[in-house]
Amino acid sequence: MTERTAERPITHAPSTPSGPANLADILERVLDKGIVIAGDIKIDLLDIELLTIRLRLFVSSVETAKKAGINWWETDPALSTRAHREAVDEENKRLRERIAELEAGAGESRDKPRDAGWDESRSHSWHHVKEAGGR
Amino acid sequence: MTQTVGEPGPRTGSRTGAACTATYVFAVCRGGDPATLTGLPGQAAGNPVRLLPFGSLEAVVQDVSAAEFGEETLRERLTDRAELERCARAHHAVIAAVAGSAPTLPLPLATLYLGDERARAALREDERRFLAVLQRIAGRVEWGVKVYARREAPEGPDRSATVAPTRTLTRTATRTATRTAARTPVRTTAGSAAAGAGAVDSGAHSGRAYLERVRGARQERERRQQAGLVAAETVDRALRGVAVASRRLRTHDTTLTGERGVQLLNAAYLVADGHEREVAAAVAEVRADPACQGVEVEVTGPWVPYSFVDGGE
Repeated sequence: MTERTAERPITHAPSTPSGPANLADILERVLDKGIVIAGDIKIDLLDIELLTIRLRLFVSSVETAKKAGINWWETDPALSTRAHREAVDEENKRLRERIAELEAGAGESRDKPRDAGWDESRSHSWHHVKEAGGR
Repeated sequence: MTQTVGEPGPRTGSRTGAACTATYVFAVCRGGDPATLTGLPGQAAGNPVRLLPFGSLEAVVQDVSAAEFGEETLRERLTDRAELERCARAHHAVIAAVAGSAPTLPLPLATLYLGDERARAALREDERRFLAVLQRIAGRVEWGVKVYARREAPEGPDRSATVAPTRTLTRTATRTATRTAARTPVRTTAGSAAAGAGAVDSGAHSGRAYLERVRGARQERERRQQAGLVAAETVDRALRGVAVASRRLRTHDTTLTGERGVQLLNAAYLVADGHEREVAAAVAEVRADPACQGVEVEVTGPWVPYSFVDGGE
């Protein structure tokens, strides 16, 4: 784990196998980053990525953030197994629309249980990342 | 972005017996040391993780069961949280190991070919691109820096002076509102004339108190938000000063950050290998910066430069 204590100005979440680096740190790198080449068999990692976004929407709509945080997207039967390809595509489309909607009106939804008021800055960063990632 | 081959077509390099294996590619490197791969479980414990030469480079590969890594099966497996974690960590472990001995380009999770020959053919087509990116990242590492808003913002003397009265009003207003909501007339509950008058007075002001509270809360929120953004910007600027390139990553949701609070910045910096001291100094400097007193700065690394291998700079 990483630490952020004042006594230790810098911490190593080593990228070596021995270090238990934060899962979110690893996932954002192995799913989102890396040099992309076309494989013979390749699943759309964007689907996986969208699952995490779905989780965010799920969490913000239901007040079980902590519980859902532990279960991740397993709590959603529609996506956990055997989701039909078209159903997933349809879902992706709706999620994208929903995200666009949220980004457009981020200032209005202030009812999040734990961090109301940070929505704007968050969607700002998100927007930024989308731009950066598109390069 | 995604290429899906529904019909496998001719399986170059695969005889009938080998048809059930696929070649999983972890990374591309230049002059990798096979010894660093010994004993790594990879994605299929029992099958060695090995180097597959192509052109002037090598791919880091492993034979895996084609059944387990079929498109549909794989999608299902990666949708399982525990399985995704296992695969992601195994993938990362191989990349980190090989990067210890040679400049390495990580591939995203789950890049698969129907045999070594097909992998070689595909990789060879991109050799020029690989060489260019290797040139850029050789001798450099990635540092991750995150900035979190502290859960309890430190109370400055000026702020507590303005905020405290608002809070008092808030509490009174809330209590009054609750009583009213409970269908109990305020005056009856109060019992004495004096207390009753107080309650009436409070009731008359509760509307204004409420508005003040809303405004106070909004101002406070805006102030914190602004301070947070300034702090994040300060941290980013300091780190860019020691980096040759930087990337913003998506900030993590509070669900993932847990008790650490809201993430204001999640960024990656490409820094010359061996410059840990410079990174540490930059971080120490921003931690001491008055603009950053409301935030916490977390540093992770060094990482293989995952965030700097795709796309041009």
